Amino acid sequence: MDIVLAQVINGVAVGSIYALLATGFNLLFLVGGVFQFAYPHLVVLTMYTFWLVLKATGDNLAVSILATIGAGMGLSVATEPLFRPLARRGAIVTTFILSLGIVIVFSDIMNRQIHYGIPIGFPPALSGQEALARWGLATITIGQLATILGAIGAVVGFLYMLYRTKRGRAFRTLAQSPFVARLIGIPITKTSILSYLIAGLLGGVSAVFLSMSLGAAAGSLGNILAVKVFAVAMFAGLGNLKGGVIAGLILGLVESFVMGYLRGDWVYAVSLGMILVVVMWKPEGLFSSDV
Amino acid sequence: MAKPNILTVEDVSVSYGMVKALSHVSLEINEGEIVALIGANGSGKSTLLETILGIHRVNSGKILFMRKPITRMPTDKIVASGICLVPEGRGILAPMTVLENLQMGAYHLKSGFDKYLERVYQHFSFISERSKQKAGTLSGGQQQMLSIGRGLMSAPKLLMMDEPSLGLAPVMVEELFKTIVDLNREGYTVLLAEQNAYKALNIAHRGYAFETGSIVLSGTAEELAGNTKVRNAYLGGG
Repeated sequence: MDIVLAQVINGVAVGSIYALLATGFNLLFLVGGVFQFAYPHLVVLTMYTFWLVLKATGDNLAVSILATIGAGMGLSVATEPLFRPLARRGAIVTTFILSLGIVIVFSDIMNRQIHYGIPIGFPPALSGQEALARWGLATITIGQLATILGAIGAVVGFLYMLYRTKRGRAFRTLAQSPFVARLIGIPITKTSILSYLIAGLLGGVSAVFLSMSLGAAAGSLGNILAVKVFAVAMFAGLGNLKGGVIAGLILGLVESFVMGYLRGDWVYAVSLGMILVVVMWKPEGLFSSDV
Repeated sequence: MAKPNILTVEDVSVSYGMVKALSHVSLEINEGEIVALIGANGSGKSTLLETILGIHRVNSGKILFMRKPITRMPTDKIVASGICLVPEGRGILAPMTVLENLQMGAYHLKSGFDKYLERVYQHFSFISERSKQKAGTLSGGQQQMLSIGRGLMSAPKLLMMDEPSLGLAPVMVEELFKTIVDLNREGYTVLLAEQNAYKALNIAHRGYAFETGSIVLSGTAEELAGNTKVRNAYLGGG
């Protein structure tokens, strides 16, 4: 029983990061009108920023976290002008192709320009390994608790903004109908840029928690995460925010149990399996899609 | 006493690539008027309304609102300055609630949200009853009224409507035109593009007839309704 609990805790911790990543990705899809395949790579590049700032400030956590979130927002906004003419035309497939180009650029930066392409390692103290509570063999560490609360908190905060504030309504209007958004007088470009900023903020928060959970990063992590985010988004239905959160948690849990009861290398197969299942059975995604 | 001018469209031409959508269109709207644009589908009425709102680029000519040029202004600023468009097909945000749709209409409203909401409730009683319902569950006629209500929430100085009677049952069409007259009596200036020329000219003060992107006739509503060409083309002859 304790083993199951341990898997669940681990699964929720990892899954909440997936949920956060899926949320940022879906936000860019819905409001920005772009299929940002490079979003996970942006997040990993932000992890590199976290590492660099930690080194530069002598492991000053507060400053590094702020800088990381700022970097996420900055990188995200920097890509907006590239996508703008495509998003305006509604050329979603072309945005996907552009994002692949951005993947190449980001990957090159991580694989060659920073730290000579050697994978980076985060200080062990960061991962908060001290157990907060125990149930037999199962423990929950500070790191896991922080990740769960932080990631889920960020998602909840974002959904609150989306459904209860004026800005959020503007986002949803733009997502539902760019034409009506124009008629109402919503400034399209400004609102779009804001969505990139928020996606970048969510990405920055993800980067911090990923750094804590994984303890290391390399350029290739971007590709691995990209498949997982893609799997979650497809499984739930592209642009389905709430579905994406649930699917992210499900992926985390399934991965955790696979790691615990089967073999570690099967973990990747879970994501690919999700994509396979949904494409063959219900390509539009398992949950209904409404913003 | 001449009514103050609200909108002047001066010799405006708009093209999409090779297609000339509007050709040297000039018109005027004064405060308190209902001005009707009549003409067949595709004759340029919608294009003109969207151009006034800044959605299409003006190739030549000027548009003045409250005597200030808005020809090259971005749409959000034009809407903020007091022009609103109730679009063809209503443009209701179906997944959002009725109240949220009205809130979106008030996007640029600086103050007085409750006051305007109250007025919308008075015009359309079903709105307050269904304020928490998703807008997509309303009937066609109700959605049209909601769309007008949303426009009213921006406290517009000029209320433009594009084919509001399209797809509505005859009873609702009666209701619709009665509402437009009521709104006009309250002080709203209305620019109405309508295929239903008979009803439109019935309530309008003045009108313009469109054909393939140009204005072919203009005058008071009576003049237009009495004109033989108009009668034959739009009013069923005789």
